[in-house]
Order: sequence, then structure tokens, then C-alpha cells
Amino acid sequence: MVYDCVIIGGGLAGLTCGIKCAEEGLRTVVISGGMNSLHFSSGSIDLAGFTDNGSIIKKPFDYLKKTASGKKGHPYAKAGLPAIKKSLDFFISRLSEEGITLNNNGDYNHFHVTAPGAVKPTYLSQESVYSPAGKDIIKSGGKIAVLNFKGFRDYYPEQTAANLKKHPLFKNTEFIMGDISLPYYLHTEKNLHEFRSTDIARIFETERYLPRIADEIAKAAGDAGAVSLPAFIGISNYREIRRKLESMTGKFIYEIPTLPPSILGLRIDSALKNCFFSKGGEYIAGEKIVSASTNKGTVESIMTGNRSTSSEIKSRYFVLASGSFFSGGLQAGVSEIKEPIFNLKVQGDKKRSKWYSHDFFDRKSHPFLSFGVETDRNFNPCSEEGKTIKNLFCAGSVLSGYDPVKEGSGGGVAISTGYKCAERIIRELEK
Amino acid sequence: MGRIETDVIIIGGGATGAGIARDLSMRGVKCVLVEKNDIASGATGRNHGLLHSGARYAVKDHESAQECISENRILRKIAWHCIEDTGGLFVTLPEDDPSYHSQLLEGCKYAGIPAKEISIRKALQLEPNLNPGILSAMTVPDGTIDPFRLTASNMLDAKERGVVILTHTRVTSILKSNGRITGAICTSKDGGETEIHARMIVNAAGVWGQEVCSLAEIKLPMFPSKGSMLIIDYRVNGVVINRCRPPADGDIIVPGDTVSLIGTTSREIPYDKIDDYTIDDDEIDVLLSDGEKLIPNVKNTRALRAYCGVRPLVAVSGEMDGRNISRGIVLIDHKERDGLEGLVTISGGKLMTYRLMAEKTSDLVCRKLGVKKKCSTHKVPLPGSESRFSSGRTVKKFSGIPDSVVGSTFYRHGQRLRNIMTGEKKNYRLICECEMVTEGEIEYAIKKLEVKDLVDLRRRTRIGMGPCQGELCAYRGAGLFHEYGGTTPEGSVDLLYDFLEERWKGIRPVLWGDGLRESEFTYWIYQGLFGLSHINDNKKKKG
Repeated sequence: MVYDCVIIGGGLAGLTCGIKCAEEGLRTVVISGGMNSLHFSSGSIDLAGFTDNGSIIKKPFDYLKKTASGKKGHPYAKAGLPAIKKSLDFFISRLSEEGITLNNNGDYNHFHVTAPGAVKPTYLSQESVYSPAGKDIIKSGGKIAVLNFKGFRDYYPEQTAANLKKHPLFKNTEFIMGDISLPYYLHTEKNLHEFRSTDIARIFETERYLPRIADEIAKAAGDAGAVSLPAFIGISNYREIRRKLESMTGKFIYEIPTLPPSILGLRIDSALKNCFFSKGGEYIAGEKIVSASTNKGTVESIMTGNRSTSSEIKSRYFVLASGSFFSGGLQAGVSEIKEPIFNLKVQGDKKRSKWYSHDFFDRKSHPFLSFGVETDRNFNPCSEEGKTIKNLFCAGSVLSGYDPVKEGSGGGVAISTGYKCAERIIRELEK
Repeated sequence: MGRIETDVIIIGGGATGAGIARDLSMRGVKCVLVEKNDIASGATGRNHGLLHSGARYAVKDHESAQECISENRILRKIAWHCIEDTGGLFVTLPEDDPSYHSQLLEGCKYAGIPAKEISIRKALQLEPNLNPGILSAMTVPDGTIDPFRLTASNMLDAKERGVVILTHTRVTSILKSNGRITGAICTSKDGGETEIHARMIVNAAGVWGQEVCSLAEIKLPMFPSKGSMLIIDYRVNGVVINRCRPPADGDIIVPGDTVSLIGTTSREIPYDKIDDYTIDDDEIDVLLSDGEKLIPNVKNTRALRAYCGVRPLVAVSGEMDGRNISRGIVLIDHKERDGLEGLVTISGGKLMTYRLMAEKTSDLVCRKLGVKKKCSTHKVPLPGSESRFSSGRTVKKFSGIPDSVVGSTFYRHGQRLRNIMTGEKKNYRLICECEMVTEGEIEYAIKKLEVKDLVDLRRRTRIGMGPCQGELCAYRGAGLFHEYGGTTPEGSVDLLYDFLEERWKGIRPVLWGDGLRESEFTYWIYQGLFGLSHINDNKKKKG
């Protein structure tokens, strides 16, 4: 059996690519090595948040229009502005089919609040993070109750409030802090104090606990019109839970992403997977790709290996969306950077002392964050000998030429390059 | 300006300074200890944590060898909770001079160190990861000692006996009158000044002792010698492995807690570089390749961190060549050397002999102050080592709490475990999962162990010292730091920022493989997800 398209990597780039391919009727499989980076993301999609010198970008598309031509190796320059826009519309609509609404602020970036109280620009957020109603509350300078679950060790509301207070956006806001406790009738073997966000999300997902939780929220929030909680108010049916809590408490409910696992990211992850399945895509989880066989500049098949079993997967086209170092898409030896599956040509300094900056929080970030596979403008990579591989495309953070953290561009690059690779493959197959 | 009246000011909060504070307070002498950073933040906490048998010095330096074995026996009694009795091996590699083995056996015999030749088969049974190609092996009574625990325990005892401990406080001037010391002025991190009146000053500032002396207008040139070490993220050996050859770079692998440590290089550095702590790439290469020769598995492990310390070698006469300077104990009475009464400098030596150094110094101080009471630090156990309970029995007392949690706390705090594992369930929740640090332990450290920031907290509890280097627990630790009254909420975010910067210094030199993966993840969390530097930038703009 031969697939039309094999996608290596089940993250934001790989799944976006997979959904597009599958809905065009391609026989598509996504092979995933494990959990993707959505599990520790903010759950918002950053498009372009910061300029090179670190100032905040207000209108990301305007910024990209101006700079896309200037930054030659940048994935955005290769994807092109129309495709970036199209890919984001596509992404929004497919997630909404799965019940996740992503809001934006028109052509402008909006802000989301981080756990220690930073305010970061982003482009798309779930409605518990950005909505016109929430925007009005901040503007009007009302009272916000910053709450936590009593004993939850992965969030500290005092930090959020203390640092937000200093931010111009919140200069008229009054913050109060408080705790909500678990329903007294919840019995658990585990030490409640060691609960992670997913454990608490499960409590919120238990319908009969909601009235009690709503009481707790109302009590702790007092006369505040808005309540912020660390993001844990349910994974699968969070919109419904949030709606119920808002009507029971009469308060606006806001979510702040905190330490992994990221509930906001998990929602997007499961929506993307469900969407992919609904379009007929196949998904192989927990597989490692150990090698690939190429012939005359064309990839013919890849070998999966998971301890005892190994199998060959053949396809007409391949997409490498295997992520950067953390996910294993790139490997750093003592003195070299490698792409381990196809041994592709990689951009990355030979000297280890050039991989990092002296300070961890250096304004210039770290060079290693922009290392990755070199591709032409069609996202086709080269073999180490410098030969272009025509039926292999690369997407997401395995690509070189951009720094997702410094630019605040990780989500946008993943979605647009994943989408663009799918478009290329579809066009090639049409020929 | 605050004012304190005391007998003795001790400058330097390393093992020696803390040891002197303990020794003097046991003899009824009032002291104030002033440390510019944190306790054990200099050379004390920057070595390989070896409980020397003395064998390393047995061929060339009998005096040091004898001091080591004698202190080794004492520390096993008074500080058992800081020690792991791993045992040690000296092994000869094919490329080494085989005659050194018999010289070493001879030297050990002379110094009274029980060294015993064993068969290669036996050595491999003891240490299965050892290079099977070794030519000979002998056992020695080496062990490991945790310098942070040891220093904290000395300081805690001194504090309980009334010593005032001022960490993150720098001595800015030394007061003299008619050729006598009368006190010192010191400034804390937040700028507060204190005038301390005292009859004597003990300079136990290690390599920074040169600066202390210059405050008293005395020249005491130091010859700083840097030693770098590499930590690998697995405990590849259970026994200390020494290479049986004359002392050289990369000749020892010490197991410690959950990791192993390859030591040590030795390089002279200029005095103005003593606070740099830069590790060169070629030092890493030497340590890795020599480490592999002893334990081949080293190459399959992940390098976790590299760090270095600066040995405080002192030139007494002021003009000796750096190479010939003794690494032995140097105790200077500046009355005799420079005509200044009331100033004493203690330097040289090693972590292993800190107690002996403290004893010698305290003897001199007491003689000058007319105090008759004799030293008893070799007999009285340190806090935590009060009575010898087996960890098994202790673990059983805390039923319902995972053994691993109780065991780790016991391992770090000995009998003081009772002050930590109390009260409600939240005290038992894990904050640092790598090193099994509970909220109760963090509360205890913040309230009792002179902890001023997250880096100090790490030295007392091992929070953030495991494989992930503080990925999740750094944030939790910062949050709790505020909750337990250590700082303001904004202050706790600043501490988090500083802590991650400090961790980075040790990760940076070994940034490849899984270490780089982990760092990428940490960067995503703290910069990508939390935007920590944006908070800091915002502040800087305002400030």
C-alpha cells in the first residue's frame, strides 16, 4: 500500500497539513512520536508579536507585508502573505467545526496575561482568553478577582496581580485575590495538593460539582465583575462549563495559562485530531521513524521502529514536521547539528560556543532557537550532498531561519508552513 | 546605621567560617559571621564533594594525608547525615606508570590510611561500570560529603548557640585604632549599613581574603587556581573512582546524590578573574575524555552541568612562585606578620580539613582573648547527626507518606527531619519532583536556614538540582518564597529570573544533546509561555 502523503510529526504544523490533505481526498497518515508542543503552549496562536529589537507589533499583517520580502530565509517569506492569511482562516474554521472558537482583534494583535503577570501580544485566542466582553472589562477598569484552587502548586495569583498592577493596561483595575476549594464530597486517594491542571479540569468536567464550584467562585470573588482562574476549567466541553459557571456566578470568567500540561493547548490538540479523523486521516501514535530510503533524490519509504516491531511505510509525498530539538526533529551532538531521519542539510553553527547567548534571558534570545533544516522557497530540503529532495516538504519548527520565541511567531509559522506544504502536494498530485 | 557589639567578626561563610563560628560559640565566644553572598557559595560549594581518605596525597604530602584520614574518621561521627560511605578505589590504566600503585600503597601505610590491594575481578564486582582494562586496583576509605549540608549544619548549630549570621552582606571597611582591630562596617544587599564592634576579626574569606586584608591595608597576595568539574546526569558509579597516577586533570569520578561528577582541572587564573567562573571548552573535553577512560559508560550519559571553583592558595612570604605554594593549611597572625593586633587569616587547606582549620583558628583566637575552654567540635555531633537512627526506622514512623519522600528528607537533614515533616498534608506535597523536595522542607529552609533567594534555597534543599534543572519547581519555589514571607510577590518573580540565570551558567558550557533539549523546553516555558524578560524589561524602563 502506498499513501499519498505521510506526515512525520503530529504537532500544529503536521496536523494542519494533515487536515488539509485529508479533506482534499488524499490518503494521508500522520505519524506522531508522542505529545506535541501544544501541551505546554499558551494555547493562543502567535503570528508576529515582536520586532527584531523587541518592541511589540500592533498590526502583524502590516508588519509581515513590510518585512516578508526583507527576510530572505524566513519561512513567512517563503509562504507568502496570501497563504499565511488563508491558512489562518482555514485553521479558525476547522477548529470551529470542532467547537473551539478562536477570537482575534481584527487585524490587530491582542494581549494575553501570563502566570507571573506579563502581558504578551498574540493573534488568536480562545474566548476565555480574549473576547470583546473581556476587552471591555479591562477598559472599564472594574474589579478583577484573581483566584486559584487552594493548594494548586502550579499557579500563584499574587505574582500575576502584583505585576499586572504595574502594567499600563491595568492601571485602573483593582485586583483582589482568593482561593476556591475542592468540593468537600470529593474523595481522592491522591494528595490533593499534588493535583495538576488536568486533574482539576476533570473536577470541572464533573457536572454535579459545578454548583458548588460556582458558589466558591462567587464567594471568593465578592463584588468583582470578572474572575481569572488558571486555565483548568475542563478540556472537552469547556465552553459549556464556562457558560454555566458564568451564568451561575454572574461573573465573567478569564483563563490564564500556567505550567504544563496546558489545558488551553490540549483543547486545540484534541480538536485538531478530531478534525483530522473526521476528514478520514489516519494517525499512528508513539512511533519513532528510524530511517528513510531515498532513490535519485526521491524519498521512497520510511521505516518506523518501536522497540520490537519495525515497518516500512511507502508514500508518494512526505512532510517532515518533526519539530525542533525538544521533539527530536533536530539533534545536537557535541559539535554538530543534525536532522536525524533524512540527514538533511541543516543551518547551524559548527562551533558550540556560538549556539547560545551568555545570559539565559538575553534580548537577542539564543542562536540555537533559529537552527533548522534549510529549504528552498517551496519548502523542499536538500540532502547533505546538496541535492533537492522533490517529494519531501518541511514545515513547522524543524525549519531554520526564524526564532519562534523572540519573534512570537511559532504558531503562525507552524500553521502557514503546514498548510503551504499541503497545498504544494495537492497541486503536484493534480498535475 | 545598625550597631552590634561582639567579640569576634568572622568574614566568610564557607565551611571554614561556619566551622569557626560553631567552634567559638561552643567555647562561649560571641561572634558575628558576615558573608557577602550565601553560605557555601565560594570554593566550599564548588569542589567535588569528596570525603578524602587522604590517599590522593599519600605519595607526596604526608601531612595532608594524615590530616585527611584523621578528619575523615571524625566527620563520619559528627556529620554522618552529610556523608555517604561509598568507599573508594584507585585503579591503574594501561597507559599509567604501574609503579605508582606500590608507591601509593606504601604511602598509605605510612600515613595510616587503610588501603588494600584487590583483584581486578573484585574491583569490577564492586563497580561494574569500571573500565575492564585496568591493570590493578586498591580500596581506600573514600566517601562523599555534601558541602552545602555540612556548612548549613555548622551554621545552624552556631546560630542556635547565639551567633549572628549576616549573609548577602559585605564588609566595606575595617576599623582600627592604635594598631588594633576595633570592628568593621558592613553593607547588606539592600544597602543597609551595620557597624560591628569587636576585639578580633577572622578572615576566612578564602580567595577573597586578599581583598579583606587590603581593607586593613595589608598585602596578602593569593594565587587563584581554578578547578573545573563536570556533572553527568546518572550515578554511573557507586564507589569513588580515583586514577592511580600522580595528581592530574580528570583523575576522579565521584558519585553524589543522583549524579556522578568528573573532576578536576587545575589552572592558574589572574586575580581579577576570580568571580568569572568561566569554564573553557577544552576543559570539558579533557574531563569527558579522561572520565571515559575510567568509566566507558560516561560517553552515553548526559552532561548536566559544569562548574568551577577557585582554590585559595596563599603566598605567605608574598613572593613565592604559584606552582610551589603549599595546598596545606595557612594560619596567619597579622600581629606577627604585619603588626596589626586582632586580625587573623585562615586560608589554604581543603573542605575535608575545614574542622581542623576552624579548631586551629579558634585556638589562636581564644589564646588572644584569654578564653580557656578547649575545642570539642570533634566530639559533639552537628545538628541532624545528633543520634544515629537507621533511615529504615525513621521512614517507618511516617506511614502514609511515600518512603522516597521521607528518605530524601532524612538524607538531607538527618534527625532534623522531625522539624520538617510535621502538620498538614500540604507539607508533604512535592515541589521539586527530581530531588523530592517537599513544601515542608522549603518552609523549614526559608524560616530556619538563612535563605534569602532561590539560589540559597537550592543550596539548602537541592531544589532544581536534578535532571530538569528547575524547569517546573523554580516557578513553584518562587511562589512559595512569597507565601512563606521570604519576599514580595514581584520580588519572587525577580528571584525566579535570577535563579534561571544562575542555573544557565552551569548548563551553558555543556549545551548539547539532551541538555540542549531540556534548555529549549525551559526557555519555551519561562520566556515563551511566561514572558519573564518582558516583566523585567518593563521594570527596567521604569527604574
